[in-house]
Amino acid sequence: MIALKALSKNRLKSFLIFLSITVAVMAIFLISAISGGIIGMYSKMIKTDGDIIITQKGISDTFFSNVDIALMDKIDKIENVSSSYAMIVGASPIGHIPIAAIYGTTQNHFSHYKLSSGVYPKEKEVILGENLSKQFKTKSIAIANKNFEISGTYSSEIGFEEGGVVMNIADAGTLFNRSASFILVSSNSPNAIDEIVKKISAMHSEIEVKTTQNFVKEYNQFKIIENSSFVISFLAFAMGLMGIASVMSMIVNSRKEEFGIMRALGKSRFFIIKNIFFETLVLSVVSYGVALVLSLAVLALIPHIEMLQGYVNGSLSASLALYVLASTIIMALLGSLIPAWIASKTDPILLINQGCA
Amino acid sequence: MIQVSNISHFYGNEQVLFDLTFEVQSGEFLFLGGESGSGKSTLLSILSTLLKPSSGELLLDGEAVQDIKDIDFFRQSKIGFVFQFHYLINYLNIYENIALAATDDKKQNINKILEELGILELSSRYPNEISGGQRQRVAVARALVNEPKIIFADEPTGSLDSKNSTIVYELLQDAQKKGTTVVVASHDTQIQNYATKIIRLKDGKIL
Ligand SMILES: Nc1ncnc2c1ncn2[C@@H]1O[C@H](COP(=O)(O)OP(=O)(O)OP(=O)(O)O)[C@@H](O)[C@H]1O
Ligand SMILES: [Mg+2]
Repeated sequence: MIALKALSKNRLKSFLIFLSITVAVMAIFLISAISGGIIGMYSKMIKTDGDIIITQKGISDTFFSNVDIALMDKIDKIENVSSSYAMIVGASPIGHIPIAAIYGTTQNHFSHYKLSSGVYPKEKEVILGENLSKQFKTKSIAIANKNFEISGTYSSEIGFEEGGVVMNIADAGTLFNRSASFILVSSNSPNAIDEIVKKISAMHSEIEVKTTQNFVKEYNQFKIIENSSFVISFLAFAMGLMGIASVMSMIVNSRKEEFGIMRALGKSRFFIIKNIFFETLVLSVVSYGVALVLSLAVLALIPHIEMLQGYVNGSLSASLALYVLASTIIMALLGSLIPAWIASKTDPILLINQGCA
Repeated sequence: MIQVSNISHFYGNEQVLFDLTFEVQSGEFLFLGGESGSGKSTLLSILSTLLKPSSGELLLDGEAVQDIKDIDFFRQSKIGFVFQFHYLINYLNIYENIALAATDDKKQNINKILEELGILELSSRYPNEISGGQRQRVAVARALVNEPKIIFADEPTGSLDSKNSTIVYELLQDAQKKGTTVVVASHDTQIQNYATKIIRLKDGKIL
C-alpha cells in the first residue's frame, strides 16, 4: 500500500501530524472529562443519602446557607420520613494545607464515611479523609486556629470527600457560625416525597425544600461549571480541530510536486485523493487511539496524585469518545482532501514547478 | 505523430508562445532549442499534455488532446517523461518508482529495462541512496517502461556531466531507433548529433 509507505518513509512529518492530533484530542478529552467529573462527584455526594434537601431560601451556594438544625425534630415526625441528617459544608486552611473541605455532620450520618482506622469523632475530634491523612503524621491538627484531635481516618468513593475532614456538626457550627448548611431527608416511600416536600416547606418561611434530584439539576454552581467547561472544551476542541486541519493541509501542500509527478505518470486524480485519504485516515485513527489510551491513563492516575487532594476526578463517556473520533477524522480529511483536490485539478507541470520553489 | 496548430500560451497577461504550427513524424528525434526563456519548457509541457495551451490545437497519435476522455491512461500508456530533475518519489524504492508508472501488462518488463540500463542491482535502493547519474537513468527507465509512443525530455542532462549525458542521449536514441518519437528540449548543443529534426525558438516564436 503506497499510502503506508509514504507515512513510514516520511517519519518526521508523520510524527508531527501524529503528535498534533494526539495532543489536540487529549486536550479535548481531559478538559471535558475533568469538568464532568467534578460535577458528577458533587451531585453524587448530595444524591447518595437523601431524597429531599433543605437549604436557606435565596442562597446561591450551599456554602452560604444556614438552616436551623432544630427543624430535624419536627421533620422526623412527618409520615413516611425514614431518617434525616444535617450537614455543614465548609472550607478552611488545615494545618499547612491552604484549603480543604470540612464536613460537619450529625452522628447518624457518620456511617457514610467508612472508617479505615480509629473511631468516629467525639467533640473536638476529627477524622481525616485518606488522601488528606497522608499529609499529616501528627495526632492533632489546627483548623482555623482551633486544635482538633485526630480520632481516625476514613475512605470514600467520592474524591472530594477523601480530601477533607469530618467532624461533629456542633464543632463545625462554631467554626462556620451557623446551625447547618442543609438538611437531607430520606423517605421510605417514593410516592410520598412530594407530599413531604410540601409539609416541610410549610414549617418555615426562610427555607427552600427540593428533591435532591431537582436540586442537582437546578444548582447554580453546576450550571456555571457546566457552562464554562462547555465553553473551554468547545474552544479546545475547535482549536485542536483547526490545528489538525491546518497541519494536514500544510503537509499536503508541501507534496504538490509529488502529485504533479504522479499526474504526469498517468495516475488519476482519484488515485492521488484515495492515497491521501488513506494516509489521513490511518494517521488520525492511530493518533486518536493513542490519545484515548493516554487520556484514560491520566484520568486513572489523577485520583492518586496527592497534590490534588482528590478534588479532581473524571471519566470519559463513550458518546464523547465517539463524537471526538468522528470530528477528528472529519477535520483531518477536510484539511487534507481539500488541498489535495485543488492540487489534482491544477495542470501537472505547474504542480511540479511549484514543488521546486 | 505530433500535430501542432496555432498554439499560443499566456502566463497571466504575458504571452510566451506565439501561434506555433508544426508537425513531428512518428519515429523522429526532435531537438527543441533556443535561449533561456524562449519558451522551450512551456512548449514541451503543452506537447506532453501537462499544461493546457491558452489557444490552438494539439493532436497526438491522431487524437485531439482536448477530446481525450481518459487523459490519465493516455499519458500512462503513450507518453514517457524525463525531467531535468529526476523527480522520483522519495518514499518508493527504484523498483517501486518504476512500477508506479508501469501499466499492469508492462510490469514484467521492469527488470529487463533496469538490466539494459545497468541499474538492476539498485532496484531496492531509495532515490536518495544513488548517484545523480543513476537517478537520471532510473528516470529514463521509468519513461521507457510502458514502451510509449512518445518520450518528452526537458533538460534531461541538465544536472549531469558529459559522460552521463552521453549515456542518457544514447538511451533516448535507442528508444528512437525502436520506433519511439523523442522530443528533447535543451541548452546542450551536443544533442544535435542525435536529432533528426531541430526546432529553435526565440521569444516564443519558431526561428
Ligand atoms: N509558471 C509560470 N508563470 C509565469 N511565467 C512563466 C511560468 N513559467 C515560465 N514563465 C515565463 O515564460 C517564459 C518561457 O519560459 P520557459 O520556462 O518556457 O523557457 P525555457 O526556454 O524553458 O527557458 P530555460 O532554457 O531557462 O529552461 C519565460 O519568460 C518565463 O519567465
Ligand atoms: Mg526550460
